[in-house]
Amino acid sequence: MRTTAPVIVAFLVGITLVITFFLNEKTPLVGQLSNQLLDWLIIIGGFTLLLGVVSILRVSWQTVQRRKEGWFYKIATIVSVLVMAIPSLLPVSWSPLFGRFEGSIYDWLFVNLQAPMMATMFATLAFYIASAAYRAFRARTAEATLLLLTAVLVMFWRVPIGEAILNLMPGDMPYFINKFVMNGANLAVQRGIIIGAALGAAAMSLRIILGIERTYLGKG
Amino acid sequence: MNFWERFESMDRRWVYLMVAITVVIPFIFPMKFPVSVSPEARSFFDAVDSLPDSSVVMLVFDYYPSTIAECEPMAIAGAHHLFRKHCKVVTLSNIPYGAPSMAESITRGIAAEYGKEYGKDFVNLGYKYGYVSVLKGMGVSIESIFPADNRGTPLSELPLMNYVKNYEQVDFIFEVADNATADFWISIVNAGYGVPMGVGCTAVMAPKFYAFLGAGQIVGLLGGMKGAAEYEILLDKKGTAFRGMDIQSLVHFLIIALVVIGNVGFFVKKRRNRKTKS
Repeated sequence: MRTTAPVIVAFLVGITLVITFFLNEKTPLVGQLSNQLLDWLIIIGGFTLLLGVVSILRVSWQTVQRRKEGWFYKIATIVSVLVMAIPSLLPVSWSPLFGRFEGSIYDWLFVNLQAPMMATMFATLAFYIASAAYRAFRARTAEATLLLLTAVLVMFWRVPIGEAILNLMPGDMPYFINKFVMNGANLAVQRGIIIGAALGAAAMSLRIILGIERTYLGKG
Repeated sequence: MNFWERFESMDRRWVYLMVAITVVIPFIFPMKFPVSVSPEARSFFDAVDSLPDSSVVMLVFDYYPSTIAECEPMAIAGAHHLFRKHCKVVTLSNIPYGAPSMAESITRGIAAEYGKEYGKDFVNLGYKYGYVSVLKGMGVSIESIFPADNRGTPLSELPLMNYVKNYEQVDFIFEVADNATADFWISIVNAGYGVPMGVGCTAVMAPKFYAFLGAGQIVGLLGGMKGAAEYEILLDKKGTAFRGMDIQSLVHFLIIALVVIGNVGFFVKKRRNRKTKS
């Protein structure tokens, strides 16, 4: 029963959403049924977010209690979660410091700590890319040389000074890169990848709806 | 050890230092390289510019704070363009991580410059979990998915949302994204409801969207900081993206120089090894 019930629910919800996709949503029953199911998905999704918060707090707390390696970092995690979450959940009517809007603790922490930290982490990629590019990007084979030349051309094309240099070359190089590299070879390859991935997703959805794929139940 | 061998075994921290210096120099000495406008950015701008007054546009903040440098200038330029054209703007986000706050601060700040009123000229719907359900559900009823706005005001109390019930009243979607949500806007909203849309995305995502551009599913594309700078130029309002192009130019050049020198060293070494063997 523990396996059968979720498979039946997945089949009924999946098949209903697939059918309603092809029907006119303005038909009251179809529209209502589809939106009702989508509302349930959103509500269940909300609980998964809550589950995530509870889980990270529980795992972090257990690490601190057992003094496992790096336990002091887990204290930082717990403090950060609580300091961000609690003031944002309290009603603004109690104090303008509560809630999620301008002037609140949450907003201050987000603007002055979280956003700059996330942007910094992402920006450090530039250093690693530069280092990796000069160490690993070698014209060892014909394919690697083609990739290298294309990458260099696109990198030139994407910046103003590079584009100015490309304009000095014979022919309209920026137009050539746009037309034949980005809107030509790249477009064709991307289209193939997108169609392939979509077919894969459709096949996987069908397997889940028909109960063939049950790994989401923890079964192999 | 000759120059090439020395260069190849160079400590990576020297590369980090070179990148850091290259990033800092344009901050101190701005170079203001001229930025040309790509056909993709021009068609995006033209599509927004040709919207009639009071058109309803969804400005979507689907990016995390980590990509602020690339995505925020697009959202800012878009908000300026839309308010300048007196469009009615509905903002929302499918990203829980700070995007509703960014949407709130950007639109409220820019709307104030143009004397726009919240609820009448623009609304921030905020965030709701599950973007596939959200995008599909808004096709039937926006109110059923977002019963209240980002600040908890019921949609029935906002005059703009009394008119905008679903995608039928939306004239254009201005999507700014750093993740796969843009794909779903295209496959669910554009393909399913025929709402025209343009996508602004990070530079690494841009190549993928040429496929949608070629198929006519999006009217235009802003790729990374360059795309944002192009939109700023078209709008005649140069901002952080335009200034960032100096830095990007120099860093691209540094990386190209490192790759070229690295390859010259590779071939010199290969040639010498061949000679030694023979």
